Amino acid sequence: MSLSKKSIFILVVIILLSVAGCYRKSAPVYYMREDVDFSFIKKVAVMPLQNLTDERYADEIVRQTVISELLASGLVDVTIPGEVTAALEKLNIKSAASLNPDQIKQIGKLLNVQALILGSVQQYGEVKFGSVTAPEVTITLMMADVNTGTILWSVTRTLGGSSFMSRHFGAKSKTMSETVVAVVREALQTFTE
Amino acid sequence: MYNMSGKRRKTSISVLLAAVCLLVFIYGCSGTKNYTSYTRPQFDIAGIKKIAVLPFENYTSEPYAAERVRRAVMIELMSRGVEVTEPGEITAVLRKQRIRSIRNITVENIRDIGDALGVDAVMKGSVGAFGIRKGISVTYPEVSVNLTLIEPESGDIIWAASNTSGGAGFWTRHFGVEGPTLDEAAAKVVREALDTLFQ
Repeated sequence: MSLSKKSIFILVVIILLSVAGCYRKSAPVYYMREDVDFSFIKKVAVMPLQNLTDERYADEIVRQTVISELLASGLVDVTIPGEVTAALEKLNIKSAASLNPDQIKQIGKLLNVQALILGSVQQYGEVKFGSVTAPEVTITLMMADVNTGTILWSVTRTLGGSSFMSRHFGAKSKTMSETVVAVVREALQTFTE
Repeated sequence: MYNMSGKRRKTSISVLLAAVCLLVFIYGCSGTKNYTSYTRPQFDIAGIKKIAVLPFENYTSEPYAAERVRRAVMIELMSRGVEVTEPGEITAVLRKQRIRSIRNITVENIRDIGDALGVDAVMKGSVGAFGIRKGISVTYPEVSVNLTLIEPESGDIIWAASNTSGGAGFWTRHFGVEGPTLDEAAAKVVREALDTLFQ
């Protein structure tokens, strides 16, 4: 093999390794009850999410995205958020972060839904990775059965960071909004697939 | 002499090809679909002739983002032949019905608004991002919207879409080509979202 061919071969190998390395992704951590047939769920209510970040509207932005993605999946219908607020007020529930099984049943009955989506936003913002900053979002979502008050499905997903290609070759990196959509989509895929 | 120059030419071509492949790869990374939409099955969207676009919720630090995007939605709807209720009329109805927060609007409220304004559907929306962001080497506009169309009689969501503008384009990132302004990005995001309603 001539020197130039060797150089090209080494260059290609380095590029391939780099590209492979930059696509390393962590899998979402999720739980799904195996003894439940989820086809009985026709309509869900997405509760206000708990905001564990410094970003004022992170909870509402993620909640709106969850509603859009659930509707777009075509699997379930979703109650409009105002109805959820009205139900919480009627039942005198101050925070949707810590609902007990009785409250879950009552909300389900009032809203005429089969399941509630609960959750929290743990991370929402620009994080510094070495010399660059990039968006990072972490969410946890849970689905509670309104007949029993038990958790049927839960998932935690983190996405973000600046990829190898964007740092070194100027490839397109995700915006904050794109990261939110991607993290919600990947989290819901563990349920919809 | 001939063999040497031939080898060199082959090497140059290989390097050029590798560079082109890399550029095409990087360019390919930019083309992602950012919108999500839902249309209620068996609902005749074409039957909607008049829509009331309610004030949008603003989840950004830009004070007028919601109103700017709302105006863009109204203009886009009108340009597609849909009649839109005058915003002042909507404000009057909301005041009359003592609705302070659009976020907490119920099906009953929507029914009353629909009756009062004589519309076929009520549109709710929110703006999740609206501003100029700084990337690794460039600045770009970021706009993110969520739109929901509700049928007043049943309170059902008949259409929903969310869309977000991507970051800086390939030509802006690599060659400094001028990107869209904030309002141009907002108009594009709204247009793409509404395309899913009228497709």
